[in-house]
Amino acid sequence: MEFGFTTAAYVVAAVLFIFSLGGLSGQESAKRAVWYGIVGMGIAVLATLIGPGSGLLLLSLILIAAGAAVGYQLATKVQMTQMPELVAIMHSLVGLAAVFVGFNADIMINTMSTLFAENGQVLGAVKEGTRHTAIGLPKEIYNDLSAFGQLIAKKSSVEIGILRIELVLGIWIGAVTFTGSVIAYGKLAGRVDSAAKKLPGGHMLNAGAAALSLILTIMYLSGSGSWTLVLLTLLALFIGYHLIMGIGGADMPVVVSMLNSYSGWAAAAIGFSLGNDLLIVVGALVGSSGAILSYIMCKAMNRSFVSVILGGFGGAQGEQMAVEGEQIAIDADGVAAALNEAQSIVIIPGYGMAVAQAQQAVSELTNKLRAKGKNVRFAIHPVAGRLPGHMNVLLAEARVPYDIVLEMDEINDDFPDTDVAIVIGSNDIVNPAAQDDPNSPIAGMPVLECWKAKQVFVSKRGQGTGYSGIENPLFYKENTRMFYGDAKDSVSSLLPKID
Amino acid sequence: MKIGTPKEVIEGEARVAMTPDSALQLQKLGHDCVIEAGAGKAAGFSDKDYKSAGVEVVKTAAALWKAADVVAKVRPPVDAEMKRLRDGQTLISFFNPGGNETQMNAAAKKGATVVAMEMVPRISRAQKMDALSSMANIAGYRAVIEAGNNFGRFFTGQITAAGKVPPAKVLVVGAGVAGLAAIGTSTSLGAITYAFDVRPEVAEQVESMGAEFVYLDFEEEQTDGAATGGYASVSSPEFREAQLAKFRELAPEVDIVITTALIPNREAPELWTEDMVKAMKPGSVIVDLAAEKGGNCKLTVMDEKIVTDNGVTIIGYTDFPSRMAAQSSSLYATNIRHLMTDLTPDKDGVINHDMEDDVIRGATVTHAKEVTFPPPPPKVQAIAAAPKKEVAPEPTPEERKAAEVAAFKKQTMTQVGLLGVGGLLLLLVGLVAPASFMQHFIVFVLSVFVGFQVIWGVSHSLHTPLMAVTNAISSIIILGALIQIGSSSFLITLLAALAVFMAAINIFGGFLVTRRMLAMFQKS
Repeated sequence: MEFGFTTAAYVVAAVLFIFSLGGLSGQESAKRAVWYGIVGMGIAVLATLIGPGSGLLLLSLILIAAGAAVGYQLATKVQMTQMPELVAIMHSLVGLAAVFVGFNADIMINTMSTLFAENGQVLGAVKEGTRHTAIGLPKEIYNDLSAFGQLIAKKSSVEIGILRIELVLGIWIGAVTFTGSVIAYGKLAGRVDSAAKKLPGGHMLNAGAAALSLILTIMYLSGSGSWTLVLLTLLALFIGYHLIMGIGGADMPVVVSMLNSYSGWAAAAIGFSLGNDLLIVVGALVGSSGAILSYIMCKAMNRSFVSVILGGFGGAQGEQMAVEGEQIAIDADGVAAALNEAQSIVIIPGYGMAVAQAQQAVSELTNKLRAKGKNVRFAIHPVAGRLPGHMNVLLAEARVPYDIVLEMDEINDDFPDTDVAIVIGSNDIVNPAAQDDPNSPIAGMPVLECWKAKQVFVSKRGQGTGYSGIENPLFYKENTRMFYGDAKDSVSSLLPKID
Repeated sequence: MKIGTPKEVIEGEARVAMTPDSALQLQKLGHDCVIEAGAGKAAGFSDKDYKSAGVEVVKTAAALWKAADVVAKVRPPVDAEMKRLRDGQTLISFFNPGGNETQMNAAAKKGATVVAMEMVPRISRAQKMDALSSMANIAGYRAVIEAGNNFGRFFTGQITAAGKVPPAKVLVVGAGVAGLAAIGTSTSLGAITYAFDVRPEVAEQVESMGAEFVYLDFEEEQTDGAATGGYASVSSPEFREAQLAKFRELAPEVDIVITTALIPNREAPELWTEDMVKAMKPGSVIVDLAAEKGGNCKLTVMDEKIVTDNGVTIIGYTDFPSRMAAQSSSLYATNIRHLMTDLTPDKDGVINHDMEDDVIRGATVTHAKEVTFPPPPPKVQAIAAAPKKEVAPEPTPEERKAAEVAAFKKQTMTQVGLLGVGGLLLLLVGLVAPASFMQHFIVFVLSVFVGFQVIWGVSHSLHTPLMAVTNAISSIIILGALIQIGSSSFLITLLAALAVFMAAINIFGGFLVTRRMLAMFQKS
């Protein structure tokens, strides 16, 4: 039961994790994929527990069990509409764990160098003429050390230097992830104002904090002591807070996947400092996955990744087109009549549907219409909602079959043949200004061209603008009717009228 | 101002231009209303109803014309009424300005303002006062009802114990407002409905009403309906031939033909020829909604119902709206009321005849002693002209090949460039970093690559589960904490314990949530 066994287990776990992510390419294989992930995680934890270096087996098991209980509670109690918040807050836990583990590594290094000094040795000294480090400690003391202690004892001074860089990175990224996720959670849960806010100084403040972090890192590496690390962590916490405060609610899908990526990189950095390959592999997998998701989201919004991270919409050049016409309201009878006559219907859900918890009502409406032989489909914009794929999950929860839920590219060409398009609680993703008005802040963003349908009904709370605060000319189009009211009530009121 | 409505003089006209409801609305605009006794009787509105709506009832037509500043009626005025028209008075009614020059000149000479309801331009803003459309809607509906009245069978097909009944086949020619209304009525009665129109762009509307559009095997650049304000225009002789040939083919099959083809200010085109009538089955019915303008069928006799030798009934009534007087009066009165709303912008009972306004200008045929017909074209196009699409020239095979080669080259260049730069960076790191670091580093780089390859394949709809899974497995950080927890230092143990706890929450929470989500995805 030596290192060989642990490493073998890690290889198996790593392969399982890769399968787990790869399996998400299809709905059916995804169900299997989760099991790969679970088994992989189980093997990894088990191998570490019974492997060398772990102590306090009982305490570990108790803690894991306690964590499991809390996690179970969270996972089973959460509403599907609150999924974005849950994912965000869970990222913060990974970030914080990374910070703790990083600090532990630092404390361990300090303990080790004290220990070496007590025995008249220098940590990391290299034996003359060879590249091997002299451990130099008496055998009894060495054997008493924990596995991590032994690992450090064997390192040369260059390796310890690198170890320090890695743990600084791990702590820094972890701390940014932690506060960032907490703020993202607050914004998604509505506890923090979702508008983009910055302290005076804006980007300069971030840049200053980052520069200061760099200086502190150098000081720490040259041996200024652990206080630099504490200060560094505080700075990173501030950057995480300020960075996410500066990003508006509409960009949340990008933020969440970005934080996901960060938590992965933090794990990878810690993996380096602990010399644990599995941590590195998984951290890299998660990191790259989050990065790709962020990239996909940004592309869907036609925004540069950097500008999203730095917060806020880029300033519009020149005057935006004035919107002409008036918003014409319609009542449930009118919408129901149009639906009864329509043959082909496309529903475009947005964040408003999630807020109003209208997915069940929408699903019922869909069932009723489909029972009448109408062609009902859903059009999902890549950034609809506050989390990548948010709408798909909500519709799946409401038991809408996934084969009628289509992506933007799949359905955009079908709008001219559509009788009725129903927009439920989405705004920017159906804004024609993105195509028509080069001065619009969202110019060039791909949008669902629902206005090409014969009739468009927009279910909306009131006349206000959407998350981005941009006027939407769709609402003023001649074939658009505004169906005001809470999305859930509105859709429910349609149900008895469909016959 | 005082708005008055006389009893319609023309015999058989049952409509009335003011209803008790519309009178109430007119009074809200600050106007007073007056009506001739018995004017609404034929449409089912008694004088008592009007009185209780606050309308003054006068005994004779003469008294009414005298009292009213604005006279609203349905049919074009007869000569006796023209005599009563006086200086400064406004007349709102159908007027047929294209074929009614004498009366128009007479009205202008007198200094009266005449607003012709059929001249309301066909723009969105004016739809609420478009009496032609509201009357055509009724005519289309009634045409089907009249046809059914004279047709000896069911519309809908039935299989009963007493035998099988085939469904009736209805052909509607001309898919304007009346045509569409006829299509809607006919399909809802259960008949198999075909429809034809010279404007191919209405095929969609026809199909949306549940009828089958009859396409011709004919190719011609059709005039865009937008150029003529949404009305049909005259078609070429070749087109006409193709159209008649198609009708000849259909004639023996169809049971009911409803023709609604009208071209503004022209004689109705002949579409249903005598030989087609001969080819029809006995008992068939033709309803010619164009009878007033000569009829789409030459056998049609205006205002009469005839039966041909081979037993085909041809209905040439022109008073379909009047046959549903209650309905058509209330719609027409609403049209008038909307027009008055536009004429009284301040709602103070004072008429502001704004000749700059597209709608008012268009409908006004005499004003301030001048004939103002025909009006200039409206500033707003009725229907947006279909934008001419610019077709990108199809690339030739050679061009496409060249483009592909260029793209491939560019891709190779970027890939090689990236590999080069990446490799160089790795070498640089390798020069400084110790071997133990490089071992881990290789693992790291390879994992990033595997990550990139795998994630691109993840389906769009599974992005949320992906986030939850990656979140769960990112708590692999628990391994680090587990290694450290056995340390002799209390602080390390504490921090590690906390980290284990939090990571454990994440592992279980993340995987459970993912499973919950995935369990919900289901195929229909």
